[in-house]
Amino acid sequence: MFGKKRKLQGLDAITRKLMAIVGENEVLYKKEDLISYECDGYTMYKGMPRAVVFVKDTQQVSQVVQCLNKEEIPYIARGAGTGLSGGATPLGGEVLISLVKMKRMLHLDLENRKAVVEPGYINLKLTQSISDKGYYYAPDPSSQYACTIGGNVAENSGGAHCLKYGVTTNHILGLEIVLPSGEIVEIGEEGVPDQPGYDLLGLLTGSEGTLGIVTKVTVKVLKNPEAKKTALAYFDDIDDASQAVSDIIAAGIIPAALEMMDEIAIEGVESAAYPVGHPRDIASFLLIEVDGIAVGIDDQIEEILTVCKQNNVREVKVAKDEAERSLWWANRKMGFGAMGAISPDYLVQDGVIPRTRLPEVLAKITQISRKYDLRIANIFHAGDGNLHPLILFDASVPGESERASRAGSECLKEKRGRD
Amino acid sequence: MNVGEKERETMDLVNMLEKGGPACETKTLGNYIWDDLPDPDKWADCVHCGMCLEACPTYQETGEEQHSPRGRVYLIKAVAEGKIDINDAFSKPVFDCLDCRACETACPADVQVGGLIEEARGQIRQAIPLKGLKGTVSKTVLNGIFPNKKRLNMLGGLMRFYQKSGMQTIARKTGVLNVMPSHMKDMEAILPEVGKPVLGRYPEEVPAEGKTKEKVGMLTGCVMDIMFSDVNEATIRVLNHNGFEVGLPKQQGCCGALHIHAGDRKTGKKLAKRNIEAFKDYDKVLVNAAGCGCALQEYDELFRNDPEMLPLAEEFSEKIEDVSKFLYDNDFKRPKSAINIKITYHDACHLAHGQGVRFEPRQLLQEIPGVEMVELPDADRCCGSAGIYNLTHPEMAGKLLDRKMDDIPENVEMISMGNPGCMLQIAMGVEKHGRSEKVVHTVQLLDWAYEKDKQKMKS
Repeated sequence: MFGKKRKLQGLDAITRKLMAIVGENEVLYKKEDLISYECDGYTMYKGMPRAVVFVKDTQQVSQVVQCLNKEEIPYIARGAGTGLSGGATPLGGEVLISLVKMKRMLHLDLENRKAVVEPGYINLKLTQSISDKGYYYAPDPSSQYACTIGGNVAENSGGAHCLKYGVTTNHILGLEIVLPSGEIVEIGEEGVPDQPGYDLLGLLTGSEGTLGIVTKVTVKVLKNPEAKKTALAYFDDIDDASQAVSDIIAAGIIPAALEMMDEIAIEGVESAAYPVGHPRDIASFLLIEVDGIAVGIDDQIEEILTVCKQNNVREVKVAKDEAERSLWWANRKMGFGAMGAISPDYLVQDGVIPRTRLPEVLAKITQISRKYDLRIANIFHAGDGNLHPLILFDASVPGESERASRAGSECLKEKRGRD
Repeated sequence: MNVGEKERETMDLVNMLEKGGPACETKTLGNYIWDDLPDPDKWADCVHCGMCLEACPTYQETGEEQHSPRGRVYLIKAVAEGKIDINDAFSKPVFDCLDCRACETACPADVQVGGLIEEARGQIRQAIPLKGLKGTVSKTVLNGIFPNKKRLNMLGGLMRFYQKSGMQTIARKTGVLNVMPSHMKDMEAILPEVGKPVLGRYPEEVPAEGKTKEKVGMLTGCVMDIMFSDVNEATIRVLNHNGFEVGLPKQQGCCGALHIHAGDRKTGKKLAKRNIEAFKDYDKVLVNAAGCGCALQEYDELFRNDPEMLPLAEEFSEKIEDVSKFLYDNDFKRPKSAINIKITYHDACHLAHGQGVRFEPRQLLQEIPGVEMVELPDADRCCGSAGIYNLTHPEMAGKLLDRKMDDIPENVEMISMGNPGCMLQIAMGVEKHGRSEKVVHTVQLLDWAYEKDKQKMKS
């Protein structure tokens, strides 16, 4: 009791004001408690926050924001902290407003195919909670096991299936946000996203919390496709794999997902927790999924396999059951984290190029890898030309982080140059 | 307490005098300055992706990063980098971990979070020894009773006396128990009827029924043999019935898991050495307590800084197998008699996450005629027992138990599992929530089915 009083006396005025809003136990301020908040999934840059505040409802967000605004203390909204672009990374001295405790589903309206969730609601949990009724939430970033829907809105997250279904912004029907003034605003009333006037939902989705903190999200939920087929195609030459990607799209097929991994990436995922048993001497594989009405799905997958064969594929196979399909996807979705098995650190870049230029850009990335003497793995959404070069490095080796950073920038410049 | 520069210098000096050479180059790692340093390779595997977050029961409850696997790994690394000291604020998240290993299942890079937590706890306990009541309790129970078979048996005897003499009835009626903290009282309420330990009472070699297929060793454990000697008896019978001679070397003892979890690696190693020696003549050692099995399988991890013991420990760890997996892999005799019952199965953390055994125990149960299995949602989420976590962290353990009980399907009559800690904890849940399910060990059910077979044969 006395210890607690003494403890609170040593705190600065801001921390105490925040505690008055959210409660003593909902503010972290000790160095040891804060240090794990100095970065998110992107570990290249770090900064110590001044405090972390856990809010439980919209009113508290508004009060906290007003308090910090008045004191002119910068703040950052944070979800699960799985982002790979440093969206929740402090520069130093900010207050982090953590939304993970706002994690309820507020409303489910399957007739109108929508759900209202709080920002801390976990992406995958939404699909899990409605799958028995035959529905799902389409945006599926690889971190969906842990990332929050609020974070997805902030980053406009994509995912393996955005080739056919679009990214987060295509699935948001409405938002409640707290503006920097503390004012609470609703956008997209009655679940109708396209209101007269500016496309504010489009502006807010992907704004990384800089325009306001999202406190409620209305999302679309979709009916499960009637049928799904998933195939793996192994290639000896990465150019052939790239050409197959372009040819599949050119054949008029829009797969639900069309993913690619190169040799180093395969080494990583096969050394990690979900090995599939991919041949280790191939240059690349494509993971292809088609979905839709059952009639015609076999023809689609056949056509894709034919295209692969025309492009000198070594081997193609179709998942024989849901267990095999799940393993293939786990292997792919855990791909980034799996790099830990072959490298102490990695830096991921995110860039989009026209599909047809995949071979030349991949060749250029190989050159950059040689130039900086750092291995670069490629795991990416080939179908929409969205590259994710993963630059592998060891931060404990002096100078290697900087080299990785320069290599990463050069990869992106290369992509820009080709657009 | 902070570990300051001065103390580090003193430690270096002590190391130098003891080992006869400058130890500072190899013997410290940032602010880790004590014996048995943590393994930097383990945190090097973590890329901070966060896939572990939602798998972690303490993160699910608190939402706080430092109470997540990724956060804990980050803190442990931060001490090695000299960014933070070993102090109470560091100790809390490290000791609040259940060591349930759910994060290891979720981790894409196979980061050994459990091992890292145990190594860090070893450093913390050397830097900040437990004082006061906690210190005394830990010394008496962990160091005084568990490693010592005589005292352990005496405790069993006392408990038997407490139950049989009528004292338990009196204590419960008079409300004397109300002076105990509520979680201790809850535990007293479900104390199983204490039988006599198997070790010492049974011969050192229990022959197989019929032709001997193989000779296997069996760990009788400490808590298991005191609280659940009937499970040990059932395990021996089931193995015998399947043609295995069961070896119960007298020299064996407590596996040391509780000590290693508590940061007392020194006692853990002492106990490990005793077991390695006890089972040296066996090629296979079977365990029916998931927590112990996992600890035995990780003796190599315990001795990673001891080049002399390491090869022996590695060889030993290879011999260890959970009894349910062993039976399944060795084509166990399918019982013919039916046990008509609806059951559910709870995955003990150290079986599912620690040893990767999920399929086999379910299969053993489902192949008993008449058994209808109802799957338990989130079956591999910790029940809160976690060794002695339910005694050291009653509040968190209580929350996890409540969640477990809420998940247990309404219509089952039995809950089966493969770990004594979980059996006690879930039995407590059944009592607390006013439910009626019977808590059983997987091999017990198999044993009953075999008994029925035998009775039929006789008649």
